[in-house]
Amino acid sequence: MSLLELAFEHSSEPVVSLLDILYYPDAQLRRNAAVVENVDGTVASLVDQMLETMYAAPGIGLAATQVNVHQRVMVIDVSEENDTPQTFINPEILTAEGEEEMQEGCLSIPGVYETVKRPALIRVAAIDREGNPFEMDADGLLAVCIQHEIDHLNGKLFVDYLSPLKRNRIRKRMEKWIRDGANPDDLPERP
Amino acid sequence: MSTRAARVGHTSLRLACVRLVQQLLSNGGSLTRLLPEAQARVEPREQAQLQAWCYGFARHSGELAGIVDQLLDKPLKAKDLDVYLLMQLGILQLRHTPISAHAAVDETVKVARQLKKPWARALVNAVLRQYQRRADELEAALSDAQRLSHPQWLLARLQGDWPEHWETICQQNNERAPMTLRVNCRQGTTQDYLQRLRAAGHAAQQVPQLPQAVQLEQPAGVQLLPGFETGAVSVQDAAAQLAAGYLTRHARRDGRLLDACAAPGGKMAHALELGHFAEVLALDHDPQRLQRVADNLSRLKLTGNSRLQAADAAELALWWDGVPYDAVLLDAPCSGTGVIRRHPDIKLLRRESDIQTLVAAQSRLLDSLWRTVAAEGVLLYATCSVLKCENDTQIESFLARTDDAALLDATWQILPGDGGMDGFFYAALGKRSRSTIAMGRSDES
Repeated sequence: MSLLELAFEHSSEPVVSLLDILYYPDAQLRRNAAVVENVDGTVASLVDQMLETMYAAPGIGLAATQVNVHQRVMVIDVSEENDTPQTFINPEILTAEGEEEMQEGCLSIPGVYETVKRPALIRVAAIDREGNPFEMDADGLLAVCIQHEIDHLNGKLFVDYLSPLKRNRIRKRMEKWIRDGANPDDLPERP
Repeated sequence: MSTRAARVGHTSLRLACVRLVQQLLSNGGSLTRLLPEAQARVEPREQAQLQAWCYGFARHSGELAGIVDQLLDKPLKAKDLDVYLLMQLGILQLRHTPISAHAAVDETVKVARQLKKPWARALVNAVLRQYQRRADELEAALSDAQRLSHPQWLLARLQGDWPEHWETICQQNNERAPMTLRVNCRQGTTQDYLQRLRAAGHAAQQVPQLPQAVQLEQPAGVQLLPGFETGAVSVQDAAAQLAAGYLTRHARRDGRLLDACAAPGGKMAHALELGHFAEVLALDHDPQRLQRVADNLSRLKLTGNSRLQAADAAELALWWDGVPYDAVLLDAPCSGTGVIRRHPDIKLLRRESDIQTLVAAQSRLLDSLWRTVAAEGVLLYATCSVLKCENDTQIESFLARTDDAALLDATWQILPGDGGMDGFFYAALGKRSRSTIAMGRSDES
């Protein structure tokens, strides 16, 4: 019956509309993102596309800076099931305490994972996708991820917390990987 | 941010692509059916690429095989089909993707080991490197069927039916189709929806002559379309949107419509949105596909005056209560040769012998359903085919054997790419009451 089935399928070829992610050491990743003045449909649509891009990557957080949009917008989903997306527009850390080390990776530096020390418990204020302001407390992976993404909006990357020697080695590996065609099957991690 | 994901358990992108095309060729199903399973086996970030490659493979398979054949001293054994396809996948990457040549060759060669055929590494490597050196010469030696990636039997039929257009048809078949939407006029105007699209960052234009049709400049996932979930809009090619215009033009208002082969239900939903018919019965032989019609109608909030029934439309005894229909839509099972640009696997799956079967099924449906049409009613015959035997010739023989049938308009053969549309065929057949038959048939063709 497959031939009849085919004949009936007039639906469009499914498509995925994903944003391109900038790779370290792209200079655009160093820009300071602008405050969002007005949360409108354009911002909501950016949020939707960023979420789709983040899930496809796959990642647990994505800042607008990484897709070359220099506005203070970031999306996060740290759930196992990828069913708890969170949007942070104009995020600000109100308080931070404690200290925790965690291994971090970054969609702009694929394949590289290094341990970074950050405050363990934070309180953050931001605006959600519908334009409503909110405040929340975060710890664990969520706290790390929020701080990691806010760093992006300020032009900062997690490799900036590493020694210059280590950072340089990562930069060289990334440059070679990009020169070779940025093949996602052959990430610049060490064997 | 990302975390170190478990990388075990996933199939490599290239291996998944080879396996999927192998399954396709052994008649395991269509791309639409096989792709979701294959996508579940690769890493999520590779799913879009797997899809692009598999569609690319189907689109260009004649050309890819033609090039590999020239580079092999002797054909591979049937059990090494996977190696043959792997070499074609290598050429696909070199010819039709932006992947760097050296990554394409190296990564493709590695897959030979994943196929558990390490002996093939040197062969795959040699074939791909030869291609890089001799690409122009190899391309020049391709036959028409190979160059245009159409099976020889289909090419011959297209050349016979369309002596002046066959090459354009084939080229259009190898293009990617635009994404066209149908705005649900019950929920708002096309102009308003264009505004909503623009506000959401989608560039789009209205399609001339089609009041509800909007073409997106860039395809987008339906979940990104404003109001899709709540039924503001559907995805439907412009050619398919012509059906509703025919039905409203030729059938009386507030009458009864039969959609004889309804799934996935786009044309009938369009007619319901326009509110022209008081009652609609949708038939489809496949209950599962009929469920999709139901889902679509409920998304569009159109469930009110329609009824769905799983039945073979030609078996009147199974479903017809004997009350005639003012309009019958027969979107007949067909070769799909007009929508190859959306379903390039049609070129791999369709056999020449299918055409006979389809033509017979179409004429059986025409004859049976004609009995259900009311006097002065209309039967709209539609196919997404460009073959004359399914279209003009089919209608000519129907008219020759059916006294009370006459064309209400000239038939319309849309070739793929005409006005950006899919290839489609329409014939609006009017049923004359017995008293007017004596006046003779109109000579439209």
